[in-house]
Amino acid sequence: MLNDHAYLSIDFLAGMTIFMIAFIWVATMIPGLLISLQGGTIDYDAVAYRTGVILVEDPGWPSNPPWEIKDDLQKDDIERFGLSIEKDTPNILKLSKVERFFCSTSFHYPDDYQHRVIFGDRPYLFNISLSTFDATMSHSVGDIRPDGYGYIRRLVKIKYPSNSTINAPNFRNSGLSANVTKHVFSVQLNCTELIRNITNLANQIPAYQIPAYQINPLRDRIMVNISNMRGAGVFHPGANNGINLSAIEIFRQNPAQPFGKVREYLGPDPMVSVYIDGGTTTVPALPASVTDNVSVIFSPGFFYGMASDNTQLYINYTYKLEQADNFFNNSFTIPYPYDYNHVTRPILKEGVLEVAIW
Amino acid sequence: MVNSDGQLFTIEGIAAGLIMLLTAYIVVSTTSMYTPGDTHISDMQLEQLGSDALRMMNTPNSTAESGQSMLQNIIKNKETERFRETFLTFCNSTTAGSYDNLQLSADLYYRTGTNTVNKYHLTHSRNLTGGEHAVRVTEWVHLNDCNNLCGVGLRPGVQTVLVEVLLWRD
Amino acid sequence: MARLNDDAQWIVLMGFIVSFSLFFLAIVVNQSTVVGQTTAEGVLEFPKNDIRSVREEVIACSDADMDKVLKDMASIAMDRKNAVVSFRITQAPQGLPFNKTFEIHYNNGVTAYNETATY
Repeated sequence: MLNDHAYLSIDFLAGMTIFMIAFIWVATMIPGLLISLQGGTIDYDAVAYRTGVILVEDPGWPSNPPWEIKDDLQKDDIERFGLSIEKDTPNILKLSKVERFFCSTSFHYPDDYQHRVIFGDRPYLFNISLSTFDATMSHSVGDIRPDGYGYIRRLVKIKYPSNSTINAPNFRNSGLSANVTKHVFSVQLNCTELIRNITNLANQIPAYQIPAYQINPLRDRIMVNISNMRGAGVFHPGANNGINLSAIEIFRQNPAQPFGKVREYLGPDPMVSVYIDGGTTTVPALPASVTDNVSVIFSPGFFYGMASDNTQLYINYTYKLEQADNFFNNSFTIPYPYDYNHVTRPILKEGVLEVAIW
Repeated sequence: MVNSDGQLFTIEGIAAGLIMLLTAYIVVSTTSMYTPGDTHISDMQLEQLGSDALRMMNTPNSTAESGQSMLQNIIKNKETERFRETFLTFCNSTTAGSYDNLQLSADLYYRTGTNTVNKYHLTHSRNLTGGEHAVRVTEWVHLNDCNNLCGVGLRPGVQTVLVEVLLWRD
Repeated sequence: MARLNDDAQWIVLMGFIVSFSLFFLAIVVNQSTVVGQTTAEGVLEFPKNDIRSVREEVIACSDADMDKVLKDMASIAMDRKNAVVSFRITQAPQGLPFNKTFEIHYNNGVTAYNETATY
């Protein structure tokens, strides 16, 4: 006789079928629910926006001394990267900050950047790139963008620092007493005038824009080119008088301290570059023989520790000649002022910054 | 023979099914269905880019140009062509060198001598048909004088005008 | 029937489990969309660029032009943006580290911004 224990009851079948139908129906609704969940890209866009704002509208932290003059040993002090000159000048970036930010030997992708500019709970990967419209500069840091990344594009201007070109024959001393072998030429950086009394600038532009056009020796690159030295001599013109650059010294004067020497160029220095006759490597030591021109570049922050906004700084060049002559010398007159009327003023260049986050 | 035990599974199955369907219905109806378009992210990006472009055009490149920005000169001299080209170059450039596809329509708003606010259409790169999803960005511009725009109806002398740009991706 | 038969209750239990998991899933989904949503809306709603532009225009304004610029900005802002813009520039007394005080007021109905800037 058959018994019916091996068969499922009609009741169980009916209940299970109803349950399964309902379950399948509900399960098909879940993908519809998740279709809006492209949380990734939405979040990425928000992080990209925030990173863009930090880079473009924030000067970074610490601000005094500014983060960009911290060297590699002090890089742990840098809490936040920010490329803008000051809070009042959003979208106007500083060249020294830009170069420091994109310096791949100092900062490693992605660790050094993640907690200083990207932030957020998860370790986002990124690609940040910046280039000027005239294509003279192009930087980037990060990986190649994958599919599905968050994105923001910002337009910026980059402040290029000032520089001064001095034509040596215009500063030739004269007279018999000046017919000597040792000549000193001095360039004055009047910090009081450049940083504090900015009336020269304030008449031309609104007050909030001043940092964008200001020459600030404490934070900016200072570049002095002296050209046409071979034309400076009188009795022995040309290069046949053995011109030697024998010293570059920095003197300081301010209300609290007496006039005195604070620095001297003694050889390769990460903060000072001395190029002679168009060379591309800094001279190893002084004295050095010069034919025509000398170019000295003081990196941003070189003067930071030795001056404040009421200091007078003098860059003194000492030249020695083989035979006595009238030469490039202003030690009997006044120092050459590095100010708005004598130098090529800072200019701004347009560029575009892109941030991609994934 | 039907007994009362035999319907338990059916009843419980119906109950379970109803509970699941009801929850699913509630969840689906209360979960807001945002797509990336609804979250205004592309609007936000466009607005930021447009504002940046106007701001950069209104920032002089050096104090040597007597402090006048490109935007100020463009407006004073009524160089509408130059406005369009500069604005599009600024907005569409990328670091990789490829070109984006943004379009603009720009107007200038000014106050007349009789204290009404008038509009002067500066330029557009494409006609607005109404179907575009455009964002509006603006910039205040300080003018020393009306120069070439005097004929349009601007007051002579110092004034502040508003440049308004509608920006959309084609 | 002597007592209730509870053999079938595991089916309704499974129904409950499915319902609860669906419910928590919904919470997670809701939270994640809110992230991007609020950022973009927050950015769009706060008129950062507007305020900056007003502020820069005011600070660039000289004493002599104040009345004209104020009238221009107030009427154009009301007409185009439904925003109230007003400002006042006062000369600071001698001996202070700044020359002028700028009081700026901006209100577009959603965001009110007041600032006293010194330059």
